[in-house]
Amino acid sequence: MSGPVKRRDFLKIMGATGVGGTLAGCDLPSTVTLEEGKEDVVSYFMPEEYVIPGVGVWFASTCMQCTAGCGVHGRIREGRVLKIEGNPDSPVNKGKTCQMGQAGLQGHYNPDRIKEPMMREGGKLSAVTWEKAMGVLKEKTASAGNKVAWFSGTVSGHQSALISNYLDSVGASKNHYTHEIVNSAVWQAVNRDMLGDSMPKLDIENAALVLSFGADFLGTWMSPVHFAGKWAKFRSVSSGPGRGTLIQVESKMSLTGGNADLWVAVRPGSEGAFALGLANYILMSSPEAGNSLSGELKTHIASFDMDTVSKLTGTSQDYIKRVGDALINRSPSLVLAGASVEGHEHGYDAVAAVMLLNVMLGNIGKTIQPSSPSPFQQLEARQGGTRDLVEFSKAATAKEFDVVFFSGANPVFTAPESLGLTKALENTGFKVAISTFPDDTTMQADLVLPLASYIEDWGTHVPAYQGDGNVLSIQQPLMEKLYSGTKGLGDLLLELLKDKNPGQYGAYKDYYAYLQDAIKTMQGSSSVKGREANNKNFWNSTLQAGVINIEGGNKKFALNNVDIKVPVSASDSDYPYYLVPSPRMGLFDGRHANLPWLQESPDQIAKIAWKSWVEIHPSTAKKLGVERGDIIELSSEHGSIEAEVYTMKSIHPDAIAVPLGQGHEEYGRFAKGLGVNPLKILTAKTDRKTGELAMYATRIKAKATGRSEFVRMRGNKTQGGRKFVRTINVDLLKRTEGA
Amino acid sequence: MSLSNILNNWSHYRRGAEEGGHHTYEHRWAMAINLDMCIGCNACSTACYSENNLAVVGREKFDKGQAMHWLRLERYWDEDSAEKEFPDSGAKFLPMMCQQCGSATCEPVCPVAATYHTPDGLNAQVYNRCIGSRYCSNNCPFRVRYFNFYSYYETSWPEPLNLQLNPDITVRDKGVMEKCTFCVQRIRTAQDTAKMADRNIIDGEFTTACAQACPTSAIVFGDTMDADSQVTRLWKKHQVVRHTTKQDKRNPELRGYRIFEELNVDPSIMYLERVRDTEV
Amino acid sequence: MIVSEKDINEQIKWAQINKDVLRSLENPRKAYWVALFICVAMFSCAIVAEIYQYNVGMGPTNLNNPHMWDMYIASFVFWIGMSHSGTLLSAILHIIHADWRKPIYRFAEAMTTFSLLTAGFFPMIHLGRVWNLYWVLPYVSDRGHWPNFRSPLAWDAFAISTYLSASMLFLFIGMIPDLAICRDNTTGWRKKLYTLLSLGWTGNDRQWRTFRKTYLLMACFLIPLAVSVHSIVSSDFAMAIMPGWHITSFPPYFVAGALYSGCAAIITLFVMLRYFFRFEEYMTTAIMEKTAKLTFAIAMVWTYLNLVEFAATWYGHNVYDKELLIAKAVGPYAWVFWTMIFCGMVVPFALAVQKFRRHMPTMFVVSLFLNLSMYFERWMIVAPTLSMSHQTHQWDVMWPSIIQWAIVFGSFGWFGILFLVFVKVFPSVSMYEVKEMVYHRKREAESDEAPATGKPNLEGAS
Repeated sequence: MSGPVKRRDFLKIMGATGVGGTLAGCDLPSTVTLEEGKEDVVSYFMPEEYVIPGVGVWFASTCMQCTAGCGVHGRIREGRVLKIEGNPDSPVNKGKTCQMGQAGLQGHYNPDRIKEPMMREGGKLSAVTWEKAMGVLKEKTASAGNKVAWFSGTVSGHQSALISNYLDSVGASKNHYTHEIVNSAVWQAVNRDMLGDSMPKLDIENAALVLSFGADFLGTWMSPVHFAGKWAKFRSVSSGPGRGTLIQVESKMSLTGGNADLWVAVRPGSEGAFALGLANYILMSSPEAGNSLSGELKTHIASFDMDTVSKLTGTSQDYIKRVGDALINRSPSLVLAGASVEGHEHGYDAVAAVMLLNVMLGNIGKTIQPSSPSPFQQLEARQGGTRDLVEFSKAATAKEFDVVFFSGANPVFTAPESLGLTKALENTGFKVAISTFPDDTTMQADLVLPLASYIEDWGTHVPAYQGDGNVLSIQQPLMEKLYSGTKGLGDLLLELLKDKNPGQYGAYKDYYAYLQDAIKTMQGSSSVKGREANNKNFWNSTLQAGVINIEGGNKKFALNNVDIKVPVSASDSDYPYYLVPSPRMGLFDGRHANLPWLQESPDQIAKIAWKSWVEIHPSTAKKLGVERGDIIELSSEHGSIEAEVYTMKSIHPDAIAVPLGQGHEEYGRFAKGLGVNPLKILTAKTDRKTGELAMYATRIKAKATGRSEFVRMRGNKTQGGRKFVRTINVDLLKRTEGA
Repeated sequence: MSLSNILNNWSHYRRGAEEGGHHTYEHRWAMAINLDMCIGCNACSTACYSENNLAVVGREKFDKGQAMHWLRLERYWDEDSAEKEFPDSGAKFLPMMCQQCGSATCEPVCPVAATYHTPDGLNAQVYNRCIGSRYCSNNCPFRVRYFNFYSYYETSWPEPLNLQLNPDITVRDKGVMEKCTFCVQRIRTAQDTAKMADRNIIDGEFTTACAQACPTSAIVFGDTMDADSQVTRLWKKHQVVRHTTKQDKRNPELRGYRIFEELNVDPSIMYLERVRDTEV
Repeated sequence: MIVSEKDINEQIKWAQINKDVLRSLENPRKAYWVALFICVAMFSCAIVAEIYQYNVGMGPTNLNNPHMWDMYIASFVFWIGMSHSGTLLSAILHIIHADWRKPIYRFAEAMTTFSLLTAGFFPMIHLGRVWNLYWVLPYVSDRGHWPNFRSPLAWDAFAISTYLSASMLFLFIGMIPDLAICRDNTTGWRKKLYTLLSLGWTGNDRQWRTFRKTYLLMACFLIPLAVSVHSIVSSDFAMAIMPGWHITSFPPYFVAGALYSGCAAIITLFVMLRYFFRFEEYMTTAIMEKTAKLTFAIAMVWTYLNLVEFAATWYGHNVYDKELLIAKAVGPYAWVFWTMIFCGMVVPFALAVQKFRRHMPTMFVVSLFLNLSMYFERWMIVAPTLSMSHQTHQWDVMWPSIIQWAIVFGSFGWFGILFLVFVKVFPSVSMYEVKEMVYHRKREAESDEAPATGKPNLEGAS
C-alpha cells in the first residue's frame, strides 16, 4: 500500500464523517503492524491522525455499483475499508444499501484487478509503464484528430463534464456514447414527449395503487434503494393513503412482481395491448376520462376489446377486469412501465399506452410530479441506453473512429452478436480500455489503463433519478490505493486535458485539486443549500456530509398527445417463444459477476446461484418434454445457448427467461466461464421511435438436448402447511392497524 | 456455579421457560421483522457476509448445501400453487436467521457446552470450544446453524480480499459450527462505549448489519428489556410475549407471531404477518 | 416332524474338546486367511478415507446443512447394537441357566467387545475437530471447563466407555480357565502370553468358587448396563425435538433392535467359525436352531415395536412426524425403508421353518439380510429426519459420498480383523463350559430315559 500519497496525508485530506464504533474487544492494542516488504514500520504507539487502533472511523462517499448514485459511509480501521453502509444524509438512499452496494468492497479488494497499464504487442497484452502508455496514447490521439470516441456507462458530475470537455477539445463532441443495458431510456423518451419531463418524480408512497408493467423498481429499475424506501412508506398503514396495493403485469416475475398483491403474467410484448385494453375498460365505465384524447387514439383504443386483449396477452379476461376495476376504484394510482415493455419494436408506443393510463386516471400532478431541474446542467447524469450501442456499432463498423476510449461499460459482453460489434471493434484503430477489471472488453483493447476502484477514487455524482431533493454526491477515497499503478478516472481525464488544453487545466496538480476548486466555486451559487452552504470550511463539511444539497428549479408539466400505435395482432414466427433476458438485483447486467458475495447470493425468485439457468413454465416444459435439470438449447436466428431448465410458474408459458449476468469470457476467476449470456443471441431489432434495442423482442425456439445436469432437490416449494410466512388479508390489517 | 449455589437456588434453576426461566438477564436482544415490508432483496444477507466474515463457498459446495449464509432469504410459493397456473399473489419471502431462542434446543445438546446462553439472551457459539459434533444444528428446528465443512478461508478470500475481513471477529476454521450472533461485536462495542461514558445503551445507537442495510427497514433490532425501545414497543403493540408456546392475545388479529414457538423454543424474533390485498 | 437333536454329543471326551478347540489356534481353513485379507483391505480403504477427511474437513462426506449426521452416526448405533448380543447370550442366558449358550457365548462376547471398539470410532470420525475429543470427558481443567452434562452425547461418552471396560472385563474373566488350558498346551510366545493372562489359574477349589461368584456378579452388572447403554444411545435421538427422533418408545425400540442385530450377527459368525475351524461338533445345528428361535422371537418384538411406532405416529397429532412417516414410505428414501421392512419383518419368518434353521448356508444368507435390515433401520432413523424436518426451505435429499462408504466399509474390516485375530489367538469356544455341558448332559442322559430336551416326544411316540 505504498504510493504517492502517504497515509498521513491521505487521511488528512479526507473528512471523517464522525467516529462510529469504538474499542472493540480490548483497549488500545500495543501491536506493531508489519506488512511484508515495507521499509517503514509504523508503531501504533504513535498512531497517525484519524487512525485509532481498534476503532472504526466512518467516511462518506458515493456508491458506484449501479447508476442510482446512493450515498455511502465506509468504515475504515487501520487504513482498511471494512464495511459499507448507507449515508443517512443522502436523499437517494437515506442510510440504506442494497446488496450490490454492500459488495462494492469485493470489487475494491478483488484479486483480479488490473494493477498496471498493458499494451497489445504482438497480439498479446503485456505490461508497460505509465509513461509509455500515455506516450502512445497521446501520439495516437494526436494523429486521430476528431476521430476519437468515448464509450462509457452512465456518467455524471465532474467526470462527465471532463469527458465532454475532452471530446470538445479534440472536436469530437458528439462522439460520447453512453451505454447501459439495464436502462429506462424509452420510458424517459415517452415522458419527455408526453410530459415535457423525462425524469418525473414518482410519488409511490402517496399512491393507493401502483400498477407496474414490468418495472422492477425494487430490483433493477432506476434507483432501487430509493424506491424500496418509498415502498416501505407505500406499504405502511400510517403514511399516505394507507397500505398501497401493487399490481404487477409482466411476463417473468421480477423481484417487484414477487411482492405484488396481484401478479399477472402476460405474453412478452403484449403489455401495450394490455394497457390499451385497460384504457378501453376505463373509457367504457367513465368516458370523461378520455376527454383529452384525440379521436384517432380513441378509435385505436376501442379496437382493444376484452377478447382481443385476452388473446394478445395470453391472459384470462378475469385478470384484465380485476386490474381495470382496481384502477377505476382506487385513486390516486400510479402506472409504471419497465424494461420489458420498452424492449420491443413498439416499445415506445407500449410505454406511451401505459403513460396514457396515468393521464386518463388523473395521476399526472398527483403521483407523478415534475422533477426540479438542476442549475448545474453540465453535471447532470448522461444516462446510457442501448441506442448508443447500436449507433456506435454502426459508426465503428464504418471506420469512423481511430481511437475509442471504453470506461465503465463492457460492450463486448452486452452487445448481441447480431449487432456486429466484433467487426466494429476490428475496424476501430486503437481501443483504449480504462478499467478496473480485466473484463471482456478490456481484454480486447489495444491499451489498458488500470483504473482505481471507485473506493479509491475522487469524483462527484448526480443521481440520474433524483430522490427527495436534488443532490450532488461526493465520491471520496475510503482508503489508500491498493495498487500504486492504478489511476483515478478524473486524474486520467485531467492528464488528457492538460495535453490538449494546458491553459485551462495545467494549474491543477491532480483531480483532487480540480475537484476541490470546482466545489468551492459551487459554494458561491445560490442553489447550494443546507447547513454547509455558509460554512467557511465548506470543503470539509461537504466531505463529511458526502452530499451537497442543491436547490432545484421549478418545472411544470407540458402535456402533449403522442401517437400510439400498438399492433392489434401478434406476429407468428418459426420461433414460438420469446426470450426474456432478465436482470436481477445482484449480478445486475453482469458487471457484478466477479463479486463472490453476489455470485453466492441466490436469485431472489429462483433461488439459484453461481450458474445460468432457463426459466420456463411447467406447461411449456411438458410440451418440450424437459424437466428440471435437463439441458435445453435455445436458438434464435443469431445463435444458440444451452443451460439447464428450471421450471417455475412465475413466468408466462410463451416466455423463456434466461437470467443476465453470467457467460463472461473474461472477467477474472469468479466470473469467467460461468454460465451463458443470453444477450449474445438477441436479434438486433430496435424500437421504432427511439432506436433503443428491442431487448425483449427476440423470438427463440427451444429443444431438449437429451443431456441433463444432476440437480439436488433442495428446498420445498411451499411451506408444507407450516406457518413461517403467515399471510393476512388487508381487511384484517385495516381493522387492527387502521389502514 | 458452585454446588452450594445450585443447592440454595434449586427451585430457581428448576424454573421452566414458561415461568420465565432461570436466567437473570442484563439485556434481551430481539428483533421484529415486518414481512409485509420485506421485499426479499438479499441486502441483509450480503451485509451479513460483509460484517461477519462469512465464507464464500463456491458453486459446487453451494449446490451441495454447504453454504454459510447466516441470514438466508427463503422464498415460498402459496400452498395452492400446485393447482394454480400462476402464482398470482407473488412470492413469500422470509429472512431466516438464528432466532436467539430463550430456551434454545441447540444449547442443551452440545456435549462440550460450546453453545450457551449469554446474560443478554443470545445463543452464543464459542468457536474455540466447539468440537464439531453438529448436534446443535440437528436439533435446531430453524436449521440456521452452519458448519465449516472445509477450511473455507483457504479459498474464500484470495489476496487481497482478505483485507476486507472484519478484525472485530474471527475467521473460522474447519470443523466448527457457526451462526448468526445478532452482530455480537456491535453489541459489545456499544456496551463498552456506554460503559465508558457511564450511561445505558441508547436504543438505535447501533443496530445489526442486516437491519442497517435493509432498504425498507423491515428489520428492527433492539433490547426488549428497554421499555422504550422501538422493538419493545412493536412487541407490545402486537401483544407478543415471551415464555409461552401460544400467544394469548387480547386482540388475536394482531400480526405479530413467532415461528415455531409451539415447540417451546421461545424465539427472540417476532415476525409480522405478510399482507395481501385479495380484493384486486 | 420335528427332529430333536442333541445340543451336543455328550459322549465327547474332555481331552477331545481340548484338542479340537486348541486346534483352532493353529490351522484354520484357507478361507480364514482370505477373510482376514479382505478385512485388512477394507480397513485400509477406511484409513485412506479418514486421512483425507481429517485433512480436508467434513465436506467431502456430502454432509450439508440439513444433513449434519449420516452414515457415521447410523454405523455408530449399528455397532453399539451389535454389541448387545454378547451380553444377551453370555450374561442373560447365563443367569437363566440356558446351558446351550456355552459353546457359542465366547465369540459372542468377543463380538460385543470388538463391535464396541468399532462403534467407539464413529463419534470420533464424525467429529469436526476430533483432536479435541477429550473435551467431552470430565477431566480436571484449570479453567473449570466441564462437559455439558445435559447433552446425550456426553452421556454417550460415559456410557460407552463404561460398557466397553465392563464387557472387556467380562470377556477376560470368562476366559481365565481356558487360558490356563492353553498355557498348559502351548509353547513359545503363546505360552508366555497365556501364562501372563491366566493369572496363575490352577483350577483349585477356592479359585473356582471366587471365579463363579465374580462371573455371576459381572453378568448381573452387565445386563442393566447394556440396556442403559442403548437407551442412552437412543436418547441421542429421543432427546432431540426433531420429528422421527422425539419418540418415547425409542429406548426399548433401540434395545430390541440391538438384540436383533446382535443375534443376526451371531448367526453370521456362527456359520463362519463353524466352517473356518471345523467346529461342527460344538456349534451344532441344534444350537443354531435355538439361536435362530431366539432371533425370531426378538425379531417379532422389534416388529411389534416398529408397528407401535408407526401407529402412534399415524394416530398422533404431530403433523411433522406423520409427514415424515409418509415421506419415508413414499419419498426418495422409500426403497431403503421397504428393504428394511422386508428384510427385518418378513425375512425372519424364514427362521420359523425348521428346515431353514438347520441349513447353515441358508442361515448365513438370512442373517445377512437381517443385518442389512438393521443397518438400514439405523440409517432410516438418522437421514430422513434431517432430510425433512421442520424447515421446509432446508429440505434436501442427500446420499452419502464415497468417503462415508469407505469408512463404513472399513469399519467392518476393522471389526473383522479384531475378531479374526481374536479367534486365532484365543479359544473361541469355551472349553471348560463345554466340558460342564457335556458332563451335565451325560448325567441327565444316564439318570433319565426321557429325551435330552426334557420335553415329551409326542410325535416320536405316535
